[in-house]
Amino acid sequence: MISWDGESREFVLVVDARGTVTDRDPRTAAKLKLSPGESFLARAVPGTEQKLANFLERARKQPLTNVELSLTADGKAITCSFHAKPDGPDRVALLGSWLPEEYSRSLQQVQESMEEVANLNRRVVVQKTALEKTLSELEDSNKGITVLHQELEDKAEVLQRTAEVRSRVVANVSHEFRTPLHSILGLSRLMLDGIDGELNSEQRKQLQFIRTSAEELSAMVDDLLDLAAAEAGKVVMRPEKFLVSDFVSALRGTLRPLLPAGGAVDLVFVDPPPELQMETDQSKLGQVLRNLVSNALKFTERGTVEVSVDTRRDDVIFKVRDTGIGIAAEHFERIFEEFGQVDGAIQSRVKGTGLGLPLSRRLAELLGGVLTVESEVGKGSVFTVRVPRVHAEVRELSDLEARPLDPNLPQVLVVEDDRKTIFIYEKYLANAGFQVVPARSIADAERFLGQMQPAAILLDIMLDGESSWNFLARLKRDPATHDIPVLVVTVTNKEQKARALGADEFWLKPVDQDRLTRKLRALRAEEDARVLIIDDDDRARYLMTRFLENGPYELIEAGSGAAGIEAAREHRPNVILLDFVLQDMTAFDVLDELKSDPLTRPIPVIVVTSLDLDQQERDRLLQQTEVILSKESLSREIAIRRIRDALRKADVGSNRTNLLSS
Amino acid sequence: MNRADEMLNLAAMRDQYLQQQLLGDRRAALQFIEAALRDGASVDEVRCRIVQDAQREIGRLWQEDRITIAQEHMATAISQLALAHLFQRSEFRRRVNKKVVIACVPGEHHEFPARLLADALEVQGYDVRFLGADVPLDSLMHSIETETPHVVALSVTMLFHLPALRAAVAAVRALKNPELLVAIGGSPFESSPSLAADMGADVVATDAAGFISQLTQKLGTSA
Repeated sequence: MISWDGESREFVLVVDARGTVTDRDPRTAAKLKLSPGESFLARAVPGTEQKLANFLERARKQPLTNVELSLTADGKAITCSFHAKPDGPDRVALLGSWLPEEYSRSLQQVQESMEEVANLNRRVVVQKTALEKTLSELEDSNKGITVLHQELEDKAEVLQRTAEVRSRVVANVSHEFRTPLHSILGLSRLMLDGIDGELNSEQRKQLQFIRTSAEELSAMVDDLLDLAAAEAGKVVMRPEKFLVSDFVSALRGTLRPLLPAGGAVDLVFVDPPPELQMETDQSKLGQVLRNLVSNALKFTERGTVEVSVDTRRDDVIFKVRDTGIGIAAEHFERIFEEFGQVDGAIQSRVKGTGLGLPLSRRLAELLGGVLTVESEVGKGSVFTVRVPRVHAEVRELSDLEARPLDPNLPQVLVVEDDRKTIFIYEKYLANAGFQVVPARSIADAERFLGQMQPAAILLDIMLDGESSWNFLARLKRDPATHDIPVLVVTVTNKEQKARALGADEFWLKPVDQDRLTRKLRALRAEEDARVLIIDDDDRARYLMTRFLENGPYELIEAGSGAAGIEAAREHRPNVILLDFVLQDMTAFDVLDELKSDPLTRPIPVIVVTSLDLDQQERDRLLQQTEVILSKESLSREIAIRRIRDALRKADVGSNRTNLLSS
Repeated sequence: MNRADEMLNLAAMRDQYLQQQLLGDRRAALQFIEAALRDGASVDEVRCRIVQDAQREIGRLWQEDRITIAQEHMATAISQLALAHLFQRSEFRRRVNKKVVIACVPGEHHEFPARLLADALEVQGYDVRFLGADVPLDSLMHSIETETPHVVALSVTMLFHLPALRAAVAAVRALKNPELLVAIGGSPFESSPSLAADMGADVVATDAAGFISQLTQKLGTSA
């Protein structure tokens, strides 16, 4: 019979109480290399001796099955499973089988794979932790950046507030300067005119110095105010069409007198391109160029100051070139700072407010352009003003005007002379599905009405004074237009309120003597007109009376609003000059009083002020406009009712002729 | 530890975990570990007091012939999974800039205790290179050369492998690198501490916690 001993995994042996082999089969001899007399116990893998001893001990008393033991064979550890039975009182018979090695290997392989997967997982965890840390660091720096950003914003806000406070201070201080300066200027003029007796030549000379100093100071205050207004965005652009050649001629005329005597310096105006037309704020452009030329003349001892005009695309470029002392490159920015003049011998000799260039630059920016400088010390400087030929506001409006009408959209005729306000209407009305047809005068509006039937008319009641009321009246009389709702817009601006209340004129101080007398003559042609002056500033009153005392006027003075009203009732003057700011009451109150009394209502009132008016009055329209236009339906009934309300609010219902004819 | 013992009864938890292990229910075992963490046990406590102790108990049960090799493997696989899971749940400390190479000596296939130590060290901020079970001596030496660790930790689980351990320690000592700490660890030193004395190691430990506290002292890495 074939022997399978070599392939069998089982083996049989018998051991005694001491663990010594007493008998064994050939497989035991082959696999375990164990022979009778050798110790089975000694074959325990180190550390498992106790388990083997315990096993043999128990097996002497009872049969055991499936006990796993680790044994050594050929110096290798193998795992065997044993069945055991007592064999006589002191011996144990054993049937062992060793676990297939490939099973053990597979088990080992599976375990190792499992460990590797777990280790991979660990690496992922470590990477994830590192990523999370990076992420949190990123978040931290992000937070840091946010904090920095906030700090920057706070700083910017502080800076802006500081700038605002500064402009306000400058504006207020300048006003405080203005009032006494006007007294000095006016009184020195009176003295120089010799009205109260001739001066001797020395006195004349001294007085002339006083006058010149006051004029310089006054110019500086004006510059400061202009700059403050420009920085506060309070400058109103008044674009108009003009020929650049005309503009340059006018500039030449005003600047010639500044040329120093002696002929060491030439002032040259290069002829501008013929027919070159601009549409921008001419007076502001002139202010910039006058400033640049007078600066150039100040710093040029000999040579030429040249003004040239050029065009590039839609811009006009003015250059003021001089052969003066020049400016070092490191000072290019400094000269545009307030009081940022450069130190030096010539510089300190030259008079200047230190505000001309900063103001010029701001004005150039307001015109939509830039003011730049190129210069070389000792050779001269070139200041370049580059501004759009047509101011952006004008262009937008002409785009609006040139736009073809869409017959599918209801049209709204906007009768308004202020461009900004037209844009505001355009914005709001376009959103509400209307189409704005801008008319910048009553005449334009009437022309348009001949060609179209608007859904509504928006009318600025202040436009052209009385004619807007007449226009409204005509609209309502004419059967062709009397159904068109007209929305009347009123503005509660001081000046306009004053006008609405009956003021005929609104003047800024200082009052020019010629203008005053001309105006009075126009208002009151006959002799012996009575003029009431209401002003709580003695000096102002004094100046006014001195201005008028030689004319055909009877002058009445009142030092307060109350006294003024009293005097008006008592003396019934032909005209009243009313200071805008009084100690005891406002000019509005005085006007209210005067206009509510039938005796004084017809008296024309001229309001006089040294206050700068808030030029942004028009922006307030926005609120009113919104109220009117946010209503979805501009139905006629509602609209007409609203006009009546508006008219009533403006206090122009039945007695509007009274209000406006004075 | 007293607090944790009283409030958490970690020994009872270990028994419950062990039961899941022997039933071969790895999902239940992991759920049990999650529950222990929820109940307030720290990751370290679960790692050492529950998983490590259960693993030792597995060895004892085989010795007592209460379980088979197959069961032991299955239980160990579950504990490997548990360790990996705990690793994921660990709060990692700041890096301490010390590198430890961990290996089982040649012939030693029980990598579990070494693995556990590697995880514990990694969590403590050590830079760990775990070489695994049955690392041939030349592989170990090569790793020491390329990794230039501060510590070499060698693991044994059976007395049988002590000669291999002795040889490995001698080989590392032969490098004559005074900067390199040699650490040995394993359950054999628990039953007979005198065994460790003539091994010539700088650190001898029988569990991860003891190992880390000794290492911290020697390296001056505050825990």
